[in-house]
Amino acid sequence: MATTTYLSSPNLTINSVSMQDQCHGLTFTRTIEALEKTAFGSGSRVYTAGLENSTLSCDLYLSFDAAETYATLKNLVGTQTDVSWSASATSPGTATNPTMTLTGAYLEALPYDMALGALGQLTVVFTGGVYSVVEV
Amino acid sequence: MKYTILSPRVGTPGDEYVPVDGVNIDALIAGGFIEQSTVKVPKGAKTKTDTNEE
Repeated sequence: MATTTYLSSPNLTINSVSMQDQCHGLTFTRTIEALEKTAFGSGSRVYTAGLENSTLSCDLYLSFDAAETYATLKNLVGTQTDVSWSASATSPGTATNPTMTLTGAYLEALPYDMALGALGQLTVVFTGGVYSVVEV
Repeated sequence: MKYTILSPRVGTPGDEYVPVDGVNIDALIAGGFIEQSTVKVPKGAKTKTDTNEE
């Protein structure tokens, strides 16, 4: 059975900045909104495709150092940018290692907690944008 | 406008950063990842104008 194991080399790029060494998880949900078009005579609900509204949730370690996580994200709140990811940073954009991109994804918030003795982490969610895959 | 890479997170430091559509350049500059290149425009050769009327 073929599976994909994510050991060490998945890559995440936010606004062309590589976050590979700060990211430890991401969740992508491709969503195309369902518009109901059920009519008289239908025995079940019927839907058609609406607008695409995908989300990408990124789990990152929080660093306030220069050119690290906070510096990458602080000026992106309330703006659109491009976000790309792949299962491996080695030779991305191929059939077996496709590069996924959300072009024009919106970052609404930059939430983080600070707790004594805890490793700083944050989760940012990019919403919307145009989804594309490079798998040449 | 030209940009120079400062952080290895974006590319090789010192190389030119070529902006891509959709990338927030202001955020990259503010975050210290790239800087705007300061290219000096060469001055033109000085020319003397003879204003003496003879």
